Amino acid sequence: MAMTQTAATPPRVLALYDGPFWDYLKNEGRLRLQCCRACGTWRYPPGPACPACLSPEADWKPVSGEGELLTWARFHKQYLPAYPAPYTVIAVRLDEGPTMISNLVDDPPEGKLVGRRVRLNVTNMDDGVALPRFELVG
Amino acid sequence: MRSLKRVAAVVGVGHTDWVRDWNRVRAGERPDDCYGYAAGALRNALADAGIDRSRIDGLIVGPTTAYERMAEVLGLNVRWGDQADAVLSVVQACMAIESGQADIVALVYGNDQRSVGTQYGGPQAMGGDLFLSYVYHAPWGLTSQGALYALMFKRFCELYGVTERDLGHVAVAQREGSSRNPNAIQRKPITIDDYMAAPYIVEPLRLFDYCLINDGGVALIIAEAGIARKLSAKPVFIEAVGRYDLNQGATSLEPRLTDFYRPAQQAVAEQIFGASGLDPSDIDVLQVYDSFSVHIPLALEGYGYCGIGESGRFMREAGIGLAGKLPTNTSGGHLSESYMQGWNHQIECVLQVRGECGDRQIENARRVHYTSDVAGKAVSIIYGA
Repeated sequence: MAMTQTAATPPRVLALYDGPFWDYLKNEGRLRLQCCRACGTWRYPPGPACPACLSPEADWKPVSGEGELLTWARFHKQYLPAYPAPYTVIAVRLDEGPTMISNLVDDPPEGKLVGRRVRLNVTNMDDGVALPRFELVG
Repeated sequence: MRSLKRVAAVVGVGHTDWVRDWNRVRAGERPDDCYGYAAGALRNALADAGIDRSRIDGLIVGPTTAYERMAEVLGLNVRWGDQADAVLSVVQACMAIESGQADIVALVYGNDQRSVGTQYGGPQAMGGDLFLSYVYHAPWGLTSQGALYALMFKRFCELYGVTERDLGHVAVAQREGSSRNPNAIQRKPITIDDYMAAPYIVEPLRLFDYCLINDGGVALIIAEAGIARKLSAKPVFIEAVGRYDLNQGATSLEPRLTDFYRPAQQAVAEQIFGASGLDPSDIDVLQVYDSFSVHIPLALEGYGYCGIGESGRFMREAGIGLAGKLPTNTSGGHLSESYMQGWNHQIECVLQVRGECGDRQIENARRVHYTSDVAGKAVSIIYGA
């Protein structure tokens, strides 16, 4: 008997302000972040106030999905059922300002990667979670 | 800035038999729980200080134990108490003494992390309720602190040309120290080639870059300076303390992944060296919280022991081993002696200043700098004779 094993995406933090982040990804395939209505500062992770001006008012606006790779690491050990090794975790500085931890969808090429441009690639996981990941550009 | 200069001194240190605890736990036994390990360490610290428990009027317990229960187990009624990690325990003991709330403070820590299988990675990682970054990135497969330090070190390598082989000097130097330390769990010397031959866990970090996980306890007795001089022939003074926290962007690890937490370390360096009238060349021994080897090159640069981007060459040429220019983590640290979450480093600081480190003693070690840059803060202490 053939068996398909689909491991659940490791648990997301779903606190009071987190819902729209994941809902927009799933429903629109787009990455939206909170943008302060008072001063225009983008923030991530979602939260109740703007760290720049403390205003509570924010709009969920789409970001460009482009940014710069800050760093990367390659897992050679499996820690989670959904992540057989090897896989690559990255940190991306979005052009709008915030830093995101994510994955590189492809195997990393030879050579240095810090500073390379990356672009959003939304992956639909087996259990229905839409996960914002990135791919190298150029 | 006064920075608690010589307000207090360590008059006693104690710990459990980490090697015995390690062997028993690996044989399937549970020798003690957190409280039992702490009690064993306190008995040894009181004996080292040569004082009766009744002299203790302040108590700080480590984060792994409940304050009230620990005080009950130890039979201590006190007029001041708190709960804190290793480095902040020392700072807070000095603050309590300076403000007159206590004269002799016991600092006790016990951890049964190995025998109960405490998880430091995975979606249920310990501390996730205190640090959102420990759990927030699980959907992307980042749940371990080791991976965070792998991310830091990869950027560091690409920006400055430091190599994985350079990093190997940390594990090799610390194993040199632990090989001469009867209390160390891992004592077999290793070479750079051994280091490079070990498997990657999270590339660019390999097996020997990761700390041990073991059971045990540590205790310190800290007394007001005047009392300390009466109690002890060799009080070890806290010359200076400093702290700076970078919280903006913390969940996304921004302060660590952009500038390696260096601005915080530089602010702390100003506090401790300014307060003590010392500079890095006055430091005889460096002790660094080393959950991962990566902490060491970052501390060397952040505190000005070498220039930015020069830590690879410093470790390779000047050296951080027992005979090096700056002996670092001389007991073996978390990588090779015992993972007591910064507490065992305090003992090594004190013993080096007292000249009681046996085969790994650094000659004329008069000032030892301890630094920790975990858990969202950079904190340092300078211990002196």
